[in-house]
Amino acid sequence: MPGVTRLSVRNIRKSFGSHEVLKGISLDAEDGDVISLLGASGSGKSTFLRCINLLETATDGEIFVDGEQIRMVRKNGQSRPESQKQVDHIRSELGMVFQSFNLWSHMTILQNVIEGPVHVLKRPKAECIAEAEALLDKVGIADKRHAYPAHLSGGQQQRAAIARALAMKPKVMLFDEPTSALDPELVGEVLRVMRALAEEGMTMLVVTHEMSFARNVSNRVVFMRQGLVDSSGTPDDMFGSGASPAFRQFIGHFGGEQ
Amino acid sequence: MATLELLGFGQNGWGALLLVATLMTLAVTATALLIGAVLGTLVATAKLSGNVLLVGLGNVYTTVFRGVPELLIIYLIYFGGSSAVTAVGQWLGYEGFLGLPSFAAGALAVGIISGSYQAEVYRGAYLAIAKGELEAASAIGMNRMLRLRRVVMPQVLRYAIPGLGNVWQLTLKDSALISVTGLAELMRTSQVAAGSTRQYFLFYIVGGVLYLLLTSFSDRVFNRAERRANRSMPAAAMGQA
Amino acid sequence: MDIAFLSSAMVTLLKAVPMTLLLFSLSVFFGGLLALVIVTMRVSGNRILSGFAKGYIFVFRGSPLLIQMFLVFYGLGQFGVIRYSFLWPFLREPVVCAVLSLALCTAGYSAEIFRSGIRAVSPKEIEAARAIGMSGFLLVRRIIAPIAFRHALPAYSTEIVLMMKSTALASLVTVWEVTGVAQRLISQTYRTMEVFLCAALIYLVLNFLILQGMALLEHSLSKHRRAAPPSAVKA
Repeated sequence: MPGVTRLSVRNIRKSFGSHEVLKGISLDAEDGDVISLLGASGSGKSTFLRCINLLETATDGEIFVDGEQIRMVRKNGQSRPESQKQVDHIRSELGMVFQSFNLWSHMTILQNVIEGPVHVLKRPKAECIAEAEALLDKVGIADKRHAYPAHLSGGQQQRAAIARALAMKPKVMLFDEPTSALDPELVGEVLRVMRALAEEGMTMLVVTHEMSFARNVSNRVVFMRQGLVDSSGTPDDMFGSGASPAFRQFIGHFGGEQ
Repeated sequence: MATLELLGFGQNGWGALLLVATLMTLAVTATALLIGAVLGTLVATAKLSGNVLLVGLGNVYTTVFRGVPELLIIYLIYFGGSSAVTAVGQWLGYEGFLGLPSFAAGALAVGIISGSYQAEVYRGAYLAIAKGELEAASAIGMNRMLRLRRVVMPQVLRYAIPGLGNVWQLTLKDSALISVTGLAELMRTSQVAAGSTRQYFLFYIVGGVLYLLLTSFSDRVFNRAERRANRSMPAAAMGQA
Repeated sequence: MDIAFLSSAMVTLLKAVPMTLLLFSLSVFFGGLLALVIVTMRVSGNRILSGFAKGYIFVFRGSPLLIQMFLVFYGLGQFGVIRYSFLWPFLREPVVCAVLSLALCTAGYSAEIFRSGIRAVSPKEIEAARAIGMSGFLLVRRIIAPIAFRHALPAYSTEIVLMMKSTALASLVTVWEVTGVAQRLISQTYRTMEVFLCAALIYLVLNFLILQGMALLEHSLSKHRRAAPPSAVKA
């Protein structure tokens, strides 16, 4: 359903102590949008992503997931969610992929993938297993379903983590530097899976340093700088002549024209 | 010949009693370990809570019960518990001294000690869980209880097995001190056998050998459990275990 | 709380502290020496010596100290060889029996601790020492022992605190140290809690002092791990 707003974030602020990391960031993602969040380390892009599913609590601002607002209350000058139950529900609708995979080490790959659907969504196990096997097949590690995470390569673990997030049938997928912890030769297999997802119309928000992904897969690029959105637009605009000086300097570090 | 008769199962033999005593040692140790598991979990939770008061109480518990001689703690529970029971008895109208059953007092005392060591084992095991795995559980929408049940507990148990093996050995050896309450466990029975036959050397050696059998057998059990629990670990880490 | 009773109990218990300290220091000293012998056998490479050391460690770590102590106290006197030897006047003494069994037991634990310390010495450091012509006892004394001891120190601190607690068992072979006196006070007065608190306090203070002492030792032995002083950085 193009035109439906899946995620809407208004004026998010976040401080750690006296240090303000996010100084008011807004962003909308419509159905099927693939948004790349770029920025130097320390620009706040990971914190922003973590604020969306409340792994960090934003100091101020509003978040809507598929039209539902996360209710916040102020207590002793601290902002916090009104209902943990709502937070858990919202989180189950947002798929999160971490830089360090964070697969549960005591479960096999298949157990990792069905854990959420069976125990959070309380769906029948047999059905979840069938779906999980299809997902593992899709990300290309069906043969590893009974292996434990520690016995897989980083690229395989990250693909398993993507399958785990997809098993929840999320409305939006959040990727927090999904290829940064990988050896260079393993980056490609993860990016291929992400590209396939984008082509299927999944709504995605991707914090990344992969310029080729930002340029060729996403339909929007947001460049963050010092806790603010410096500039944003289509990849053609951003990487073309319309780039801001700061962005031009930023991509210069990655070898300029790619 | 006389030695064989003394250790045998015949009329003058102590074999049957020593066997029963060995089982009693196992029973009181297992009970103490369970009591210690409950107390240890509570104390570890307190120490991890971040609440200043609870952390302080947890530290006092582990410092006192790991730092004070086991024998003193057994006296505290056995004599202190008996006075408490007697006081309750008098309040209910019963005149005279009521003793705490030696099994209960001994298991409780050694359990309290075991709990102080188990608390450290569980705390260490919790801290060994990768923070990202807890975050992933939150991110998928698990609430606190579910996270505890599905992600935290299984991993705490896995990481705690080697430490628990050590605590079991410690608790098994501490259980010998329960003999001062008169409980007929292995130490006490060896003592009685030695005293009544005047064969001190023989019966203390036999008692010691039975303890060695218990400790080496349980060592084997824990090693097997550890290997099983570590099947999800990388091959290199399994080699170290 | 009855302050008068507490203070009189404390005074009675404090009078037993010298005996506890005597048991502790003698058994740590002799246990340490014996542990050095055992660990030398254990790492000697000689199969008989190392097998004996293994057996020793297994027996003394695998059985309760109390049964070892009773074996020494009651069991040895059974043998005429010992009973009529010149050693008997010594071995008849409860204190000697207590120290003997405490030392034998801690030697088993300490030997294992020292061995893991030795295993932590890197072969490269030994090689470097050999390269400048060190070998045998000189190599052990100048290179292996100092490094191994530094590695073993934290675990050894824990072991000697356990030793402090273990001296309490001497009361069961009629040595009047702190726990024995506490038990006698309890059975005379039935004021278990008060006596326990006083005795516990004594042991906790003793443990604290031991740990402070060990920390001081560790600090002075680990100069190489601390940041270089500012003057050294400048130089």
